[in-house]
Amino acid sequence: MTNAEDIATEPTPQPPIHGRLVLHVDIDAFFAAIEQLLDPRLAGRPVIVGAGVIASCSYEARTFGLRAGMALSDARRLCPNAVILEGHAQTYRCFAAQIFACCREVSHAVETYLDEAYCDLTGTERLHGGPVEAARRLKLRILETTGLTVTCGLGPNRMLAKLIGKTVKPDGLAAIGAADADAFLSPRPIEQLAGVGHAHARTLRSMNIRTIGDLRALSPELLEALFGAPGRLLHGRCRGHDTAAVNPREVPQSISRETSFHRDTADRDEIEGMLEYLVGRACRTARELDIKPRTVAVRLRYGDGEGDERARSLQTPSDADPVVLELAHDLLRRLFTRRVALHGVGVMLSSFATRLGEQGALFDEREAGRRAALFRAFDGVRGAYGHGALVSGRALHLKDRLEQDRHGFVLRTPSLTK
Amino acid sequence: MRLERLDEAIAVRADFQGGVVTPLAFRRHGREHRITRINARWLDRSGRHPHFYFSVTVESGDVYQLRLQGADLVWHADSVSLEG
Repeated sequence: MTNAEDIATEPTPQPPIHGRLVLHVDIDAFFAAIEQLLDPRLAGRPVIVGAGVIASCSYEARTFGLRAGMALSDARRLCPNAVILEGHAQTYRCFAAQIFACCREVSHAVETYLDEAYCDLTGTERLHGGPVEAARRLKLRILETTGLTVTCGLGPNRMLAKLIGKTVKPDGLAAIGAADADAFLSPRPIEQLAGVGHAHARTLRSMNIRTIGDLRALSPELLEALFGAPGRLLHGRCRGHDTAAVNPREVPQSISRETSFHRDTADRDEIEGMLEYLVGRACRTARELDIKPRTVAVRLRYGDGEGDERARSLQTPSDADPVVLELAHDLLRRLFTRRVALHGVGVMLSSFATRLGEQGALFDEREAGRRAALFRAFDGVRGAYGHGALVSGRALHLKDRLEQDRHGFVLRTPSLTK
Repeated sequence: MRLERLDEAIAVRADFQGGVVTPLAFRRHGREHRITRINARWLDRSGRHPHFYFSVTVESGDVYQLRLQGADLVWHADSVSLEG
């Protein structure tokens, strides 16, 4: 880990850049770095955080070929001496909140994710000086405040800021100007382009398109034919153009709450109880963000490694637990048909409507208002005393099975999505 | 590493100078544990009152997680991490 003096004496990596400026802040090996911070005996050792699969691993573990998403059984084979921890989700959230608070000191618009943030630095030079210097001070402030290192990328848009940062991980700082974007992007593998996932990359590689530069030969019409409407965006991105704004309103694409059971189970009461609890937590998050999901998905993971997922949409978007739960239970009944114990269960809410965009049912308005007040009261109690303080129906079964802390039931592998 | 959940209220000797709280030692099961190092400190603002957390190493080398409840200033030992 770099200390503050090292950062202060590093040479400036790039000259200051002008025009629109986006700073990407990425927390290095987030969960694993926090575990190493909390317990100095883990410093310098390969550390894995996860249950079933790797959620995060230290840089020492990465030298053995370990990566996030890898099965723990494979990880143990590659690195038998690794320290494997199940993790502390709420602690990670607290550290992330501290880091994002530091980011808000240098930018008026900060868009945050689990372990990264985009900061709009446009027009802040008079306040904070040159952007490279501001980024360097931010790194130092984060290190002093939390003891964690971050990697910073500065660019004329989000995509370039993130990509240039990736070249200097961990604990790095790099900047790129619009004029250098073309040369920087051309030789990079196609998988590094925002919007190109595994499936798109496979399609493109089958067409002998291997680098971002190769992609420029394809017309926007062809890209749209291949990948639908988002394909057109790739036409601009491969040329370094990305007009997406930094959006400090943190409306997520989806809200997921999932966990594995402490022991694989086929007990309906336990499964339905857990689903009810997860739906309650997801709906509470939606209410806090003032958004209402239209689509509800239930995800199952069986003990034999198989998985299944099904989604359906509500007629009217709703953040009320009973409405979402009714659909989730129906999905669970249709999904859980194999005679195999479940390893984990999850729920995902998506296709959000904001309050302004909502078309409510005309005659249900009074009832909806009363229900909203009731859930506001529930949320107040749960916020003060933990989500486990008020549970209903089937989720009561969890009270005898799971430990509780001040946030709710202690789940084995709680998801950390927003 | 082996993590043991404790969630025990404990008596802590702490320094509150300069608006910063720093635990120095705590008593658990009649035995005093002197803190040799503060590994990390963080604040949890979820809930009605803030909670102040500390990861500390004691003389024996064990690592404890301590929590100071902002509402009533009661200290808790949340967990201990033991080697092996």
